[in-house]
Amino acid sequence: MTAPPAKLTPTPPIPKVGGWDNFQRKYAPYIFISPFFLLFFVFGLFPILFNAYLSVHEWQPGSGLGDMKFVGLRNFTDNLTDPTFWLSLKNTAILAVESGLPQHLIAIPLAFAINMGLKRAQSFITAIYFLPYITSVVAISVIFFTLFSWQYGVLNAALNSLHQIPILGVLFPADKINWLGERAFVQPSIAMVIVWRYVGWNMLLYLSGLQAIPGELYEAAAVDGATRSEQFRFITLPLLRPTIFLAVTLSLIGGFQLFEEPFILTNGGGGVGQAGLTTIMYMFRTYNAYSDAGLAAAMAWLLFIVIGLLTLVNNFAFGRSGTGNNEAAK
Amino acid sequence: MTSTPLAAPTAPPRSISGKRPLSRAGSILLLFLGGVLTLAPFYFMFIFATHPRQEIFSLPPPTWFGHDLTNNYESLLSRMPFWRNLWNSLYLAVLTTATTLFFCTLGGYAFAMYEFKGKSWLFGLLLATLLIPSTLNIVPFALIMQALGWIDTPRALWIPGMANAFGIFLMRQYIGSAIPRELVEAARIDGATEFTTFRKVIVPLTGPAMATLGLVTFVQSWNGFLGPLIIFRSAETYTAPLALRTLQGIANTDWGALMCGVALTVVPLLILFAFASRRLIDGLTSGALKG
Amino acid sequence: MKIQRLFVAAALLSVSLAAAQKTTLTIGVFPDLDSVVKAALPGFNKLYPDIDVKINSLAYADHHNALTTALSTGKGANDVEAIDFGYVAKFAEGNGMTDLSKAPYNAGALASKFVGFTFPQATTQDGRIVAMPTDIGPGSMFYRTDLLAKAGVKPSQLNASWDSYITNGKKVVAANPGTFLIPDASEAAQIILRTGLKAGDGLYFDKSNKVLISPDNARFVKAFTVAKQIRDAKLDAKAGGAFSPEWTTAFQKGNLATEFSGAWLVGHMQNWLAKDFTGKWNAQNLPGNTFASWGGSFYGIPTQSANKDAAWKLVQYLTTNAAQQVLAFKTTGAFPALKAGQTDAVFNQGVVYLGNQKARLLWRTAAAKIQPLDVNKLDPIADQIVSDALGSVLDGSKDIPTALADAQRLVERRTR
Repeated sequence: MTAPPAKLTPTPPIPKVGGWDNFQRKYAPYIFISPFFLLFFVFGLFPILFNAYLSVHEWQPGSGLGDMKFVGLRNFTDNLTDPTFWLSLKNTAILAVESGLPQHLIAIPLAFAINMGLKRAQSFITAIYFLPYITSVVAISVIFFTLFSWQYGVLNAALNSLHQIPILGVLFPADKINWLGERAFVQPSIAMVIVWRYVGWNMLLYLSGLQAIPGELYEAAAVDGATRSEQFRFITLPLLRPTIFLAVTLSLIGGFQLFEEPFILTNGGGGVGQAGLTTIMYMFRTYNAYSDAGLAAAMAWLLFIVIGLLTLVNNFAFGRSGTGNNEAAK
Repeated sequence: MTSTPLAAPTAPPRSISGKRPLSRAGSILLLFLGGVLTLAPFYFMFIFATHPRQEIFSLPPPTWFGHDLTNNYESLLSRMPFWRNLWNSLYLAVLTTATTLFFCTLGGYAFAMYEFKGKSWLFGLLLATLLIPSTLNIVPFALIMQALGWIDTPRALWIPGMANAFGIFLMRQYIGSAIPRELVEAARIDGATEFTTFRKVIVPLTGPAMATLGLVTFVQSWNGFLGPLIIFRSAETYTAPLALRTLQGIANTDWGALMCGVALTVVPLLILFAFASRRLIDGLTSGALKG
Repeated sequence: MKIQRLFVAAALLSVSLAAAQKTTLTIGVFPDLDSVVKAALPGFNKLYPDIDVKINSLAYADHHNALTTALSTGKGANDVEAIDFGYVAKFAEGNGMTDLSKAPYNAGALASKFVGFTFPQATTQDGRIVAMPTDIGPGSMFYRTDLLAKAGVKPSQLNASWDSYITNGKKVVAANPGTFLIPDASEAAQIILRTGLKAGDGLYFDKSNKVLISPDNARFVKAFTVAKQIRDAKLDAKAGGAFSPEWTTAFQKGNLATEFSGAWLVGHMQNWLAKDFTGKWNAQNLPGNTFASWGGSFYGIPTQSANKDAAWKLVQYLTTNAAQQVLAFKTTGAFPALKAGQTDAVFNQGVVYLGNQKARLLWRTAAAKIQPLDVNKLDPIADQIVSDALGSVLDGSKDIPTALADAQRLVERRTR
């Protein structure tokens, strides 16, 4: 369409390169990224602005858009003075750590082991560990309830039979544990499910990072007499840093937006002592059950600020090595 | 056992090679145990699909297939046009995945291979959108879709998501590290337009990253729930997860039929995964997400 | 002849008119109401052949969420919407639902036909009626006759008062190792909170919006104390809410001696929940001569509906047609909210599952005695905060006065 004009101007500014050629080269990146920004302006920006507007209003969803009442910054101060909001932030942070840390501590060695030892079974093992990620939430909820049940659960039955073993048995509890009904166990139980669900996903990320590390490095180290664990410490970990940064960032963002698992495992209620109430859950409850959309919108903004700050800290902790993806390329 | 003679030549010091079979067996055992733990809930999903609901919640829970698969299946079909719902899910997931792959690869390519004014600023903006909690978007999203008249149509779900920040981020990481710039330069010297370069040089080399992104996108669309809840209004347009949720009453849930539907819904994902996993691993070996 | 011909012509005319003007009506429901409406349609279409009814069913919570979204944005609601009683207050706010007290509906005139406590639930403070009641859940104490007999405890000893419930409950559990008296201690508290209210008081707020939760309010203190006593005596299965997996399994294994619930529970026990215990369960009134309702559903018409006339016909048919109310009762055990629906012969029959006890008469009497509760728009918030406080008391992390004082403060900061 625009090609003919290029032919009409026979004096190109740069020799050999036609006007159209120049034009399309200069503007190609903008055109290539434009779909995202166009879609963002149509579908992404309006909700953000709507929520910003909502956060300074009082509005009951269900009563129509005409019923909004301006209240200034009251929604923000209300949230900041609400003990439950702070509790939910604390819970979110604890859950993010309890579920995030094991995910990576398991996924990295797991990926290392698969990468090192199982060339042929690789795709099979990878598939097995990735399966939880594709399982539907409905199935997860039913299955984990039957596992976690206090009186009738499989987990307690297993622990109980382990307790019967003569000497080792001391390590296992004699009484049944009320996994989802006791304050101390709510968060670990939720974390367990999250770890189960996302280890495979992280493993996949790490596996890709590992396979990019040249095998000659390990061979050279082996010749120098380095053990596997030494190779892991001095070769794998440092070279895996950018991948770790990517995976941790995604876990951080996901962890602070935790909703599905705690919501389902506590039947939406947050569990005993609200130990399983995350901020997104509290926001959902404020919007949905409490019908206070303005307060919920203000909460969304506060959470956005928290996640943003943490991402900055994470960026700082991993330094520039995490973000620069080109410098180590071949 | 057989690995010892193979391992010996590459590892001269005896002390290390002597340790190897043991630690190797240990790690294989660990991998195996972990795999069993991971697989167990998945296995139970299929087992439960063949039992009536009173058996699902009995103690001990059933550990082998029961006889109620056909009952559960018939009960499922009597409550919803299940295959129709599954087709809706498939249609939506395929469109979402295809468009996402195209636009995210394009965007990732631009951010990885070009220098242009405002690049870092635009990329920062893109990443920032990842941080926004989307749970509150229900009402504004519904308002937009009503204004556009897209309620009850699948395009309300695949069009807004087709160029997303996560996908562009992932593709940029991959293209930036796995594809040498010289290839792109060479194509330009040959007189290819930028889009031709993308089509002929970049796309063929991004297979593994596309497999990852495609898989994740497909799974998310397939299992997606909140979006379809807002958009779809009748039993014929529901996607499978939405239709299956209608089985869950506050009191009366036919868990057998539900598990049967859930198990059937996961089968297409398994097939897809079987195809994708080969590409995933192949591609990973060639250096995805390299540091 | 002439008259006949005219009749035929009129009939033909009406048929062709009906074909031309067939209205399609949508109704949004959740399980098990979908089965009720499905069963009602043949009868409804006999009366109104020109109205096509399309059922859109969603899961319980999803249905109400979708309705919220539709009312918020002013589009997308069905012509008739089922509303669970727990949500009625929420949808009564704003103008999303049609005020049925006005002409041409004049629902206020129908109020006396229904069980007394139902209409106030759907009536706002300014007198609007946003929905019509269709079914209720008159509550009773279900108990296992065999377990009680083994301990030598009579049902009247259990339900005389909450104190005697606990004292004699201990005997039942002691005589039947491995069983529990009640699925969850919090149930007792919830019943006590909902009974014995002063006239004009709501659950948590009085008429002037003053918070009633306080360490000095006898109703709250008693509710918390009784629940705590049950938990401390290890009488409850800590099963959480009804229909949790823990609750389901306890029922199936026959490990529960009593349960408080609506009449509809019998249907579930009989069909799947406690199939093996036919004839071993029985029903009596709640402890302390109190009466409460478990659940209940309503039908309303969103203001955005374009077919309000037809919608009102359907709502009327579902709620005020005695034959339909009886059919619903027979289909899913939905207890009629319509008094005329409770006079069918079926109510005088014994319930086979309950050892032929004439329990329906018991429920009918109980239903008439249930007090209306004044609803407040902050009820959901107070509900959540109070049940959290109760949880803290039950697991021993707070004492009762502290928990109630904390709850009072948390609720008060929401009342602006």
